[in-house]
Amino acid sequence: MEYVKVTFPTRRLAYIDGEENGYTNDVLRVDAGTHEFSLGDRANYRPAKRTVTVMDTSVLEPLEVRFFSKGEP
Amino acid sequence: MLAGLLLVASCASVEPGNPPLKQYVPGRGYSFDRLEGGENSDRLFVIVTFSGGGTRAAALAYGVLEALRDTKIEWQSKKVRLLDEVDVISSISGGSFPAAYYALRGDRIFEEFPGRFLYRQIQSDLIGLALTPTSWFKLAASAYGRSDLAAELYDREVFAGGTYADVIARNRRPFVILNATDMTTGQPFSFIQDQFDLLCSDLAGVKLARAAAASSAFPGGLTALTFWNYAGTCGYRQPAWVELAMKDHGARVNARRTARAENRLSLAAAGPARAYLHLTDGGVADNIGLRGPLEAILSPNHPWSIVQMLNRERLDKLVVIVVNAATNPATDRDQSPAVPGLIDTISTAANVPLGNYSFDTVELLNKIAAEYRADSRAVVACNRLSAAKGAQCALRLEAPHAVELYPVQVAFEYLPDRAQRDWFRNLPTTLQLPRETIDKLRAVGRRLLSEDPQFQNLMEALGGCLAGAGRAC
Repeated sequence: MEYVKVTFPTRRLAYIDGEENGYTNDVLRVDAGTHEFSLGDRANYRPAKRTVTVMDTSVLEPLEVRFFSKGEP
Repeated sequence: MLAGLLLVASCASVEPGNPPLKQYVPGRGYSFDRLEGGENSDRLFVIVTFSGGGTRAAALAYGVLEALRDTKIEWQSKKVRLLDEVDVISSISGGSFPAAYYALRGDRIFEEFPGRFLYRQIQSDLIGLALTPTSWFKLAASAYGRSDLAAELYDREVFAGGTYADVIARNRRPFVILNATDMTTGQPFSFIQDQFDLLCSDLAGVKLARAAAASSAFPGGLTALTFWNYAGTCGYRQPAWVELAMKDHGARVNARRTARAENRLSLAAAGPARAYLHLTDGGVADNIGLRGPLEAILSPNHPWSIVQMLNRERLDKLVVIVVNAATNPATDRDQSPAVPGLIDTISTAANVPLGNYSFDTVELLNKIAAEYRADSRAVVACNRLSAAKGAQCALRLEAPHAVELYPVQVAFEYLPDRAQRDWFRNLPTTLQLPRETIDKLRAVGRRLLSEDPQFQNLMEALGGCLAGAGRAC
């Protein structure tokens, strides 16, 4: 099992490989491999998606996948 | 004259047992997400797997279903049957008969199934049917085999014409997954719409008897069943993860996920690249029906992913009950210096890897349960240790959504009495057993469930009780 944390200034749905998969800023479980992360259809965040290869994480050190508000520097 | 007629029959066309799908619509048909949960809560998620093993496996599985019916638990301030909390049943071969019957008839299984299947001499009926001249003509067709004949018998005598459309119309959990094996790839083939979408075929039009016959097409005695592949005709689109998993092929990051993606692509290749699929006994790929549930527990890329439910904080307790009717027949081979014969050697070569694989699969489930517990403990321990160094050192690490996993095992090998254990482990794999043997299998299923340490832990956690063995609830 691998662990990721999809970060964003607010709590909202996180999508993994196009499907709802929990919430931002929570530690989420995922299997190893290349996954596509996004925050859904609303266009108020950037980047639109991140494709990341998840491997060698641990529950103590989840991989951080960062998203920002469009207005955020 | 007869030879001429058989020659004509051999050229006869056979109607496909699985109709085409007009248009692919994601999530339609027999899928987990579309089934009405009703009172069944996701917070307590129960998966039951039924192994192969002919009528022996069917009777053991049926005994466990009876025990789950008679197990009362306290859940969400209500007294409910544990059976009503079962969310998924994954079955193989002989175990697919009670699984399919429960999907079709629900609680009526307890009135009807013993007479319709368990206590019937199915094997004798099959042999009798195969010896009729009408069957000879059917069997002369190259696309019609003994399992097609068996499917007709099951349809008439066991499932009364029931199809997946009837199961969909019931719209009730559990989501029942019958599993066969794709002869060409050696991969499990599940009777759910997600699998049939790849073939552009509508599972609703498939008879349960045909699914059960494919799942139990014991190699040798029974033939593989042919399914038509209409891939490329319904506008099917693979889920996003398939392309992503294929990118990992060279790096070998997750070979299992990539293999699943490759399998999907091979089935859905337009043309179709594989015009027909030949499905044999589910036990060839996985004799305990646990591989699919393990993928659901490990991957978000699954038609009923447990990981997704965990990440969405919808699930608190996960129970996996593995009902395994595996045997280990006694042999006097080692009492003689004689070189073992061909049948003995081939039988060993077929059965030993199957048993070892089942053992490893159960061990994988236990390993996952241990990993879940270890991860939770690690976060708690780090937070406690860092906090002990002073408030400024406190880490406040966050943990993923916590889940309690109960891996329960029902298998003859856990019977403490050696003589009794040996008796069950020497039962044959056949589609008929004496009435007393069926009764003993039903009773031992209940007993093994009640004596499993993880089941006892679950009962304690849920204030539950299984009636029987001198105990009233």
